[in-house]
Amino acid sequence: MTTQVPLGSADYNQVLEWLYREAALLDSGQFESWLALMAPDISYEMPTRQSVYPKDGEGYSHDFGFFAENHASLETRVKRLGTEQAWAEQPGSRTRHFVSNLLLDQSDSGEFHAATCFMVTRIRSDLPYDFFTGERRDVLRMTDDGLRLAKRTILFDQTVLKSYNLSIFL
Amino acid sequence: MTSSTMTDTTDFAALVDEERGHISRRIYADPQVYDAEQEKLFRRAWCFLAHESEVPNPGDYVERQLAGERILVIHGKDGVIRAFLNSCRHRGMRLCRADKGNATFLRCPYHGWSYSSEGELVSVFAEELYHEDNLDKADLGLIPVTQVETYKGFIFGSWSAETPALTEYLGDMRFYLDILVARTPGGVEVVGPPQCWEVHTNWKFATDNFTGDNFHLYTAHGSVAELGMLPPDPMALSFGNLIQAHKGHVLHIVPGPPIPQAEYFGVPMELRPLIEDTLSPQQADLAKGHAFSVGTVFPNLSFMQVMVQGDLYSAPTPFLSFRIWQPTGPTTTKVWSWLMVEKEASPEYRKATYEAYVRTFGPSGIFEQDDMENWEECTRMNTGAVAQRYNLHHGMALHVPADRDFPGPGNAWPGSYGERTQLCFYGEWKRWLTMEEPWA
Repeated sequence: MTTQVPLGSADYNQVLEWLYREAALLDSGQFESWLALMAPDISYEMPTRQSVYPKDGEGYSHDFGFFAENHASLETRVKRLGTEQAWAEQPGSRTRHFVSNLLLDQSDSGEFHAATCFMVTRIRSDLPYDFFTGERRDVLRMTDDGLRLAKRTILFDQTVLKSYNLSIFL
Repeated sequence: MTSSTMTDTTDFAALVDEERGHISRRIYADPQVYDAEQEKLFRRAWCFLAHESEVPNPGDYVERQLAGERILVIHGKDGVIRAFLNSCRHRGMRLCRADKGNATFLRCPYHGWSYSSEGELVSVFAEELYHEDNLDKADLGLIPVTQVETYKGFIFGSWSAETPALTEYLGDMRFYLDILVARTPGGVEVVGPPQCWEVHTNWKFATDNFTGDNFHLYTAHGSVAELGMLPPDPMALSFGNLIQAHKGHVLHIVPGPPIPQAEYFGVPMELRPLIEDTLSPQQADLAKGHAFSVGTVFPNLSFMQVMVQGDLYSAPTPFLSFRIWQPTGPTTTKVWSWLMVEKEASPEYRKATYEAYVRTFGPSGIFEQDDMENWEECTRMNTGAVAQRYNLHHGMALHVPADRDFPGPGNAWPGSYGERTQLCFYGEWKRWLTMEEPWA
């Protein structure tokens, strides 16, 4: 069972602020600090999507995606960005994570289920914008150190990734 | 056929000098090259459309592209898989507008002309208003792809009636393909739908990378080497062979470390007896002795069978991916990437191979995201008129004599660092652009 957490409540504000601070860490390249916000059992997934008729659902794949990460693989990605040869991010992308439309629920166990819309812009070099939009379904867990992300499912709007890579976090 | 020269009278044949290993930069950027490729290569060659496991049931369809035109690959009620232009015969409307689905009939959203899953025109709106001489339904079925054939579950199409049969076209590449896709009784199947993404590169930079370029690893993927996820010695992966299996079909095959886990491309132990029973002894020996193979079925179907750590702490895990590098313009490419796995694979192995793939390859993978950086910037630089005065260099290890004792068909050269197989690919590319019957 989950209960709705009303907009403007202390819990709502706390989760919203966490999401904003997370976005700021990603947009300022503080990936080690971002990684520290992940729970040890983090699941970070992004299924592929296909364009299908409504009778066939929303088109998300259960089997295949663009991310299927755990803590070790996120750590590997962050450490890779810290090398001097991660060409896809050297020079780095300039990103803006816009996070909005937070709908928050709390489960009986106390975990927060946060559904948000995101729009991420990315510019590399002197190239045009990449726009990435979709929905995040997050599970956040309160710890002695503050909120930690236990699960993120990224429901992407594009069926064909309109970019040459996903070298950033969404 | 258009002429084989460009507007400045340059012969396409002059763009590739496979003897000296010189390639003109124009082949990666010139719109005339793109137009010639579409006509002479992509509207003639056998191109991969779909895998049978994507359309397992009658009525199942997927939309694909062949030489830039939208195709429906559909499993008919009669059990036959066919491919048609996804275009109604009435106004040309895109008939099916989903990437995949299942349909008893295909009904055009514009005026309602309806087709069977076998492609026949079965009904027309207000049919009584047509004079019987002016509506020959038997002649108004969906436009079929000229030739459609399947090899070990891989469905190919060609827009040319003259192109030889698929088995002849693949030639001895079948020997090597079987080692990857038909090494167990069930063969392979797709794991979910393909990843699709768009890259501002000429498609040949991707194939160039997948025609046996093993020596980009320690530079292009230096970040991963720096993390210790590649052997520390940059020559550690230089062993094995470069192979021209047949004409432009090329691959490399590379041994792993001398441990049992790295035999048979690293596939789980329970699958290995199946491999021994299914492949010929010669093929099974090659499978046993190798951990990596990357190659290309000419022109634009590439594969990679590799063992890789998905993260810093995991053991190397194998995956098998197939790709289409679909040209969408002189400097743009749409990539389709499928993960494939043996039908006999356990749920645990399916999960492990998926995680190994998605963490390292595809647009989000920690290896491949850097590949596209290179391919895009190469393409951008090679569009320059001044840059195009200077050829590119493909000269590595061309002096190395062939390995006459290699236990497989085709031509094999010792060592997997070299540019011999790239030149086999470009030489075949030149033949298709300049010859009436490149297959002869």
